[in-house]
Amino acid sequence: MLAIDVKDLRKEFNVQKNREGVKGAMLDLFRREYTKVRAVKDISFQIPKGEICGYIGENGAGKSTTIKMLTGILVPTSGDIRVNGFVPYQEREKFVRGIGVVFGQRSQLWWDIGVIESFQLLRKVYRVPEAEFKKRLDELVERLQLQDLLNRPVRKLSLGQRMRCELVASLLHNPSIVFLDEPTIGLDIVVKTEIREFLKQMNQRYETTILLTTHDLQDIEALCSRVIMLDDGRIIYDGGLDELKAKWGKGREVHFQFAAPFQLEQLQFLTAGLEVAWSIENEYTAKVWIPLEVNVSDVLSRVVGTTEITDIKIIETNTDDIVREIYKSGSAEESKLHLLGEEKVSNV
Amino acid sequence: MVFYTSLIWEYMKNYIKTKLTYRADFWVEVLSDLLFQATNLIFILVIFQHTDSLGGWSEAEVVFVYGYFMIPYGIFMSFINLWGFSERYIVKGEMDRVLTRPAHSLFQVILENIDPPSIIGSFVGAVILGICWVQLDIPFGIVELLVLIVMVIGSVMIYTGVYTALTAISFFSDAPTGILPLMFNIQGYGRYPITIYNRLIQVVLTWIAPFAFVGVYPASYFLDQEITKSFALLTPVMGIVFLTGGILFWNYGVRKYRGAGS
Repeated sequence: MLAIDVKDLRKEFNVQKNREGVKGAMLDLFRREYTKVRAVKDISFQIPKGEICGYIGENGAGKSTTIKMLTGILVPTSGDIRVNGFVPYQEREKFVRGIGVVFGQRSQLWWDIGVIESFQLLRKVYRVPEAEFKKRLDELVERLQLQDLLNRPVRKLSLGQRMRCELVASLLHNPSIVFLDEPTIGLDIVVKTEIREFLKQMNQRYETTILLTTHDLQDIEALCSRVIMLDDGRIIYDGGLDELKAKWGKGREVHFQFAAPFQLEQLQFLTAGLEVAWSIENEYTAKVWIPLEVNVSDVLSRVVGTTEITDIKIIETNTDDIVREIYKSGSAEESKLHLLGEEKVSNV
Repeated sequence: MVFYTSLIWEYMKNYIKTKLTYRADFWVEVLSDLLFQATNLIFILVIFQHTDSLGGWSEAEVVFVYGYFMIPYGIFMSFINLWGFSERYIVKGEMDRVLTRPAHSLFQVILENIDPPSIIGSFVGAVILGICWVQLDIPFGIVELLVLIVMVIGSVMIYTGVYTALTAISFFSDAPTGILPLMFNIQGYGRYPITIYNRLIQVVLTWIAPFAFVGVYPASYFLDQEITKSFALLTPVMGIVFLTGGILFWNYGVRKYRGAGS
């Protein structure tokens, strides 16, 4: 069953043009000029129930706009959305009872009252029966260790504490889909890890579908089986994280530290026939760049057998690098070409 | 309906919890509210030191209208407090949060801004009304009481409808409009005998910004003022029309909501 089904989704905003200077301001007073800005450009994707999907892209790529359309906050300009079987903006009140939303930059809780009172209020708003609420709250509170925070007003919480409470608030009514817009923004590594663990566990236990946007790719690596990458309102990649790495990873780099001084020609001679590129740092250390088509073990076996080595380090291209490359070029396809071009250069 | 009533109570409880911690603040608000009303009342009294009747209305009658006006006004001010809407919900984007909750958005916004101290104005108004009632020797029975209640509800609905519609303008334009303070000034005109104004203002106060229905028209049901009495019974009808219109316009505005920031 599909949790989210989006087809040709589009959102346009009218943005007011401000003309320059006092004269321009006067003109604006009488006749405003608007430019249409298309924030989301006919995107389509489907997310099956129980999946954790990462939604990434640069600032202003259209992530938040999409999330807002999926949660019923914004009405799309055109296209079809079905979330949980509902068209979000049409039956908003009924629809939102089945979803949970966390905006990392904005609090869902009431600022002045105690955390537990916010929860109680939400219980009423979502019409959760008392017994069910209690069971759920106990479970969440214990899992996220909020016992000591419950009676404090939200404004007195640290960001990490607040975010954990936000998570609980969004889950009290046991939603089947959870939207998280930058849930780990500004958090320290301990809290981040804790939240990731928690989300993962919740997904496994309740089959909760999770769609999260983030700038921290560690979140994606820890949680998501799938990523949708957005650039300038279009989807430029939709698929598994491993595939993304495999397809667009530049290859691997192996660092060697030798016991005795060596020469570049020696090393090149050893790996003759393999498409690898050597470079030296100093007399004792060298790096070899190995494209994905070549096995690392092949290279290693040739070098290790003939030279005395004190240390070896294998470095994989990390996701950050790949994603940065793709953002820079604007398309996953183009970026592949770009990277291939670079490979050739480094091989010469 | 049960659901919404229980929500009102929940939000009230939270209001009490947060606000009663600042007791001084609470009393200052009550006091300034009452002072504001007192100056208006004194203004009426001063006028009647110079003249015996205002458009055929005696002092007691005008004060009676004022007393009536204070009742719906107090209720309106304590429950419907939309002044900061544009700033807080549109510019800061808190509307996002409201829209992800399963209750009508206007209802949520109203509940989040509830301001119960203003209700004290209603009680004061009721006392003023009562004094004039006795002075004018108007009969009082169960029928009058019921009519009064219906009138007050109608008046509150008119206020709510008008201000809901005006607030919903914020959905279309980011910049705060000056129309709310303007309306606030106009609404004062509804407290005086409508016949003293020229024709145009009468039409405006009756059909366009129907503030005469929050004051002079419903109050005159109990008075001996033939010209306006026939309008008195229109109060609940106008209330339903304007409230429905206001809510429909709000719902339309919500669809045009653009969100703020990321």
